[in-house]
Amino acid sequence: MKQVFQLPPWAISTESTLYNKTGSWRNYRPVYRNRIPPCNNACPSGEKIQQYIDILNQEEGLYKAWKLLTQDNPFPAVCGRVCFHPCENSCNRSDYDEPINIHTIERFIGDIGLNEGFKWRLPRVNKKYKIAIIGAGPAGLSCAYHLRRRGYQSTIFEADNKLGGLLSQGIPSYRLPQDIVQAEIARIIKSDVKIHSNTAIGNEYDFDKLLKEYKTVFIAIGAHKEKKLGIPGAEHPSVIPALEFLYQLCAGKRVKIGQRVGIIGGGNSALDAARSVLRLGKKPIVIYRRTENEMPAILDEIQEAKEEQIEFVFLAAPERIIIRNNKIVSLECIKMKLGQADKTGRRQPIPIKGSDFKVGVDTIIPAIGEEVDTSFIPGSFLKVLDDTVSTNYEGVFAGGDAVTGPKTVVDAIGAGKKAAHLIHCYLRQVCLPVGASEKPVVFEDLNTAYFEHETRIPSGKLPLSSRLKTFAEVYQGYEKPQLKQECSRCFSCGVCNKCDNCFVFCPDMSVNKRAGKYEFDYDYCKGCGVCVLECPRNAIGLVQEER
Amino acid sequence: MKFTIPQEENMHPGHLACPGCGGALAMRLALKALGKKTMVVLPACCWSIINGPFPYSAVKVPLFHTAFETAGSVSSGIKAALDILGKKDITVLAWAGDGGTFDIGLQALSAAAERNDDFIYVCYDNEAYMNTGIQRSSATPWGAWSSTTPAAKEEPKKNIMDIMVAHRIPYAATASVSYPDDFIRKLKRAKDIKGTRFIHALVCCPTGWKCSSEISIKLTRLAVQSGIFPLYEVENGLKYTLNKPQQISPDNKLIRSYLGAQGRFANLSEKDTKKIVADIKSEWLRLLNKIEGNICIKQ
Amino acid sequence: MKEVMSGNHAVSYGAMLSRAQVIAAYPITPQTQIVEMLSEFCRTGRLKAKFIKVESEHSALAACIGASIAGARAFTATSAQGLALMHELIHWAANGRMPIVMADVNRSMAPGWSIWTDQNDSLSQRDTGWLQFYCESNQEVIDTIIQGYKIAETVLLPVMVVLDAFVLSHTSEGVDIPEQKLVDKFLPPYKPQYKMDLNQTLAFGALVTPDYNFELKYQIQEAMEYSLTLARKVDKEFKRFSGRNYGLIEPYRCARAEIILVTSGTITSTAREVIDNLRKQGEKIGLLKIRMFRPFPAQEVIEALEDCKKVAVIDRNIGYGVGGILCQEIKSAFCNNARRPEIFGYITGIGGRDVTPDTIMEIVIDVRKNNKADNRIKYVGLRKLR
Repeated sequence: MKQVFQLPPWAISTESTLYNKTGSWRNYRPVYRNRIPPCNNACPSGEKIQQYIDILNQEEGLYKAWKLLTQDNPFPAVCGRVCFHPCENSCNRSDYDEPINIHTIERFIGDIGLNEGFKWRLPRVNKKYKIAIIGAGPAGLSCAYHLRRRGYQSTIFEADNKLGGLLSQGIPSYRLPQDIVQAEIARIIKSDVKIHSNTAIGNEYDFDKLLKEYKTVFIAIGAHKEKKLGIPGAEHPSVIPALEFLYQLCAGKRVKIGQRVGIIGGGNSALDAARSVLRLGKKPIVIYRRTENEMPAILDEIQEAKEEQIEFVFLAAPERIIIRNNKIVSLECIKMKLGQADKTGRRQPIPIKGSDFKVGVDTIIPAIGEEVDTSFIPGSFLKVLDDTVSTNYEGVFAGGDAVTGPKTVVDAIGAGKKAAHLIHCYLRQVCLPVGASEKPVVFEDLNTAYFEHETRIPSGKLPLSSRLKTFAEVYQGYEKPQLKQECSRCFSCGVCNKCDNCFVFCPDMSVNKRAGKYEFDYDYCKGCGVCVLECPRNAIGLVQEER
Repeated sequence: MKFTIPQEENMHPGHLACPGCGGALAMRLALKALGKKTMVVLPACCWSIINGPFPYSAVKVPLFHTAFETAGSVSSGIKAALDILGKKDITVLAWAGDGGTFDIGLQALSAAAERNDDFIYVCYDNEAYMNTGIQRSSATPWGAWSSTTPAAKEEPKKNIMDIMVAHRIPYAATASVSYPDDFIRKLKRAKDIKGTRFIHALVCCPTGWKCSSEISIKLTRLAVQSGIFPLYEVENGLKYTLNKPQQISPDNKLIRSYLGAQGRFANLSEKDTKKIVADIKSEWLRLLNKIEGNICIKQ
Repeated sequence: MKEVMSGNHAVSYGAMLSRAQVIAAYPITPQTQIVEMLSEFCRTGRLKAKFIKVESEHSALAACIGASIAGARAFTATSAQGLALMHELIHWAANGRMPIVMADVNRSMAPGWSIWTDQNDSLSQRDTGWLQFYCESNQEVIDTIIQGYKIAETVLLPVMVVLDAFVLSHTSEGVDIPEQKLVDKFLPPYKPQYKMDLNQTLAFGALVTPDYNFELKYQIQEAMEYSLTLARKVDKEFKRFSGRNYGLIEPYRCARAEIILVTSGTITSTAREVIDNLRKQGEKIGLLKIRMFRPFPAQEVIEALEDCKKVAVIDRNIGYGVGGILCQEIKSAFCNNARRPEIFGYITGIGGRDVTPDTIMEIVIDVRKNNKADNRIKYVGLRKLR
């Protein structure tokens, strides 16, 4: 017989169901696991974009966002202006409505950092190691910064008197004001980086000597050597290479150009030159071999140029510069058509015989690309190894445009960061992974039911009328409310942003919130997987239980 | 978008609902909305089991298990007693399944609604007698398999909302746990109204719908989006308001993906599916007409 | 204060004096006057109660169950088909230990339609866990309703107060209405230990596994057994302020009786007259009125009957396939008793057929001439069928 026990008069329940540990029913266990957002994945300098946007969304402060952003990129104010933002191209939101305006957010954070004088807290310098960096462009400065973060002091050798490389020599101020560039550079230098400007390796300083003295060298000399136009008349003084033209402008010098300026090329330099010409009060005509679709310039730039009603002559290649009385009178071009796509996927232009025509110009700015000049390295050639940074010289590393040919600012910054990492590994004789290689979150991974359609908030912009006569910056960035609004559009792909969905939809009250974090209560979680599917951002996975 | 739902948890884990049960979540959200001053009347339904056997209970409020057909009448009795005892601030919540509402409990519910007795009646509708093993109820949709319609149900689902609205009760609404903010808003709104308030909540039963448990919420969301189960409110039997209209588009693709995810619709032929799509669209138009009717009333 | 009133109105007065707080009822002849008067009491405020005008007897009892579990004193009244419709909840109320009081006006079960009395409706509910009292007069009706609450709320079982259709329900008699003040003292407000209460957060009536159910059902039987003692005590207590009591059974002129008739309900009154006449003539005959049928006061019945020679049990009911239900109960009470009289079972008055003193006399004559009882059912007043 059973023991004597007390019962209520009838079936009156007094206990809770907590006795029943339903976790034992489970076949699959949900786990919080952050995945790689596509924006972070796409950023050559590895910015944790989703994370700093999340910091802004959680209102944890701009400093925190700036600190996180500059962990990967010391040039947020610069990149917020000139980066070609592959992050936005990969943004999953573009499959829903429009991508997040990441670069304008980045710019806001960067500007705040400058205005507020945000500072890094860096470790002490370890004097044991000496590292030389050739070139104070974005790659070199980025490398110096990332080394400094690891406690290494480096010495930068710069041929020019101005630091910044292309940043201070090739981008007009209506796109990138010089005070911004210099302020972000100064912040790096102030963090205890040595500088020898006006010191070209090969001329003022011998490369072998440098190598002997420093043992570790990072070559980040960029790509400055202009490709030659190579058509009759190209030697005329009114043929001014784009970089030369932009360099003079950036240096604040007056450049003598005529009334009608033919710019040859479809890249950023071409557009920079054209838009600068316009601002100088002259008529630019951009001549490009292919069509608008094939232009390598940033899309925004093309849009801007079109807005500014710059004349384009597409499908035309220069044949000959016609000079009369020692003056350029026109550019003879041949019409092109697009043929098959080449290896890079771009359709190749093919000349149409007998289609010659003339474009009336008196000045010509070729912007057909640059090459690397490594003539200062004696003896043999420099060979970059598979990791794209190490070279066949012991202790010599190389990166940026110097290795890849002309690429973008952020690529150079990323290369500098990677070089710092590999230099660290080299000096300490350790092998650390460069970065995660997981698959980033794709649009199909998301549950978009929880996202409203919201249009992208554009950056503030000078009106067309007031921008054509000056070199004042076109884009004005965000005010705080716009920043907030745009940040709130972020899907936070693959990363929990405490949206509460897992908590809200759990039928078993098995999601606990503790200290701002979620935890599964595996005592009761039945493993239904609702949270996995209802997580809008794919930040929860299911793993099979081992029983 | 972040849901702002009450943090207060008026239910314990350890309850006996199947994994992914929409009905369990519905109760959790409802008790969050209504708070601790609530008494639950529970006729025979899945929740009779979910709440736990004697001497246990999953909810943190008083709960009365009652006979299958008596949710309406017992709630009336409880409310009358509370009134006469001077306890006027307690919400009585009748919590019944589709069987207890559409079928066996309809008489008592109708009577209570006619008397406009003061309680909230929530029908959590999983579209069959799930607790007894998936037998058809009058809430089972046309074409669905059930253990007593081994081929497919040949009759359309009863429109319980129309029935309840015909009673001119002060508040009737459809609700879905897939829209927790709307669900909670409706229960809170109901709480503040006197008289019989009826909420029809479609909830997924992964067991009976023959689908995987993780899509429980997704399916009822699809039901809303596809117009199969539009969210709306009716005040005093007259004024219709459509909720989340931007979410709803009764289109072929959504309806098919709703049907396609459920094993109970696995036997549908293309012709059957077309009929369902057409029926849903016409029901949707019928609802829109009622909403349009509001304008006539105002004049 | 004395007033002339029908049995139905006596029920209404009983419920009012008991301060029923929630009333839920559905009209059925011959019960209608009960609810009509109660709704009037509620309207005028003589009774502070919520009257839920339900759509069925099933809902009536369900609403009473709801009211009771929420801590209110609940009342309902019905008859025949209505009682049968309640059947599920009759069990529910008892298994849920709800002290509801219900008046059942005995009416023959359909089909065909009948509105006249017999006891098959209430006796069909004999094994549900309800206490049952069968009343003889309108005074007893009002008093038993009041006593019923007192007993019900102590043992936590529902009570059914039964009265004959028309013979009592629609027949007016002088009734002494107890003073409210005294009733209030006798029957204090209902204060249950377990109820729907925000401070207790209990769940009532969950799934009960075989692990517990046996004991829970056993407790009902225990409460039933206790209610015999309690009902006697309450009956005595009632007398202290009203001067009236009834007992669980009432032996009438049974001293040295050789024959005792056993009756319930209004047949008792008719039988009293016959007994009085026969006693006058010197016959050793008596009468035993069964007032409480559930729980069955078997010991008291044995003590009242074991000394006589012959017992004639008069049933206004048929337990189809067995016979008179009261007769079965009495037989089974004596089964294990060493001394037992011959027990004759008579069935009469079915479907409201008149039971007159002549009917009773017929039974007496039959008993007189038979010395040995068998299990044959004897019908009185049954017309011969071919």
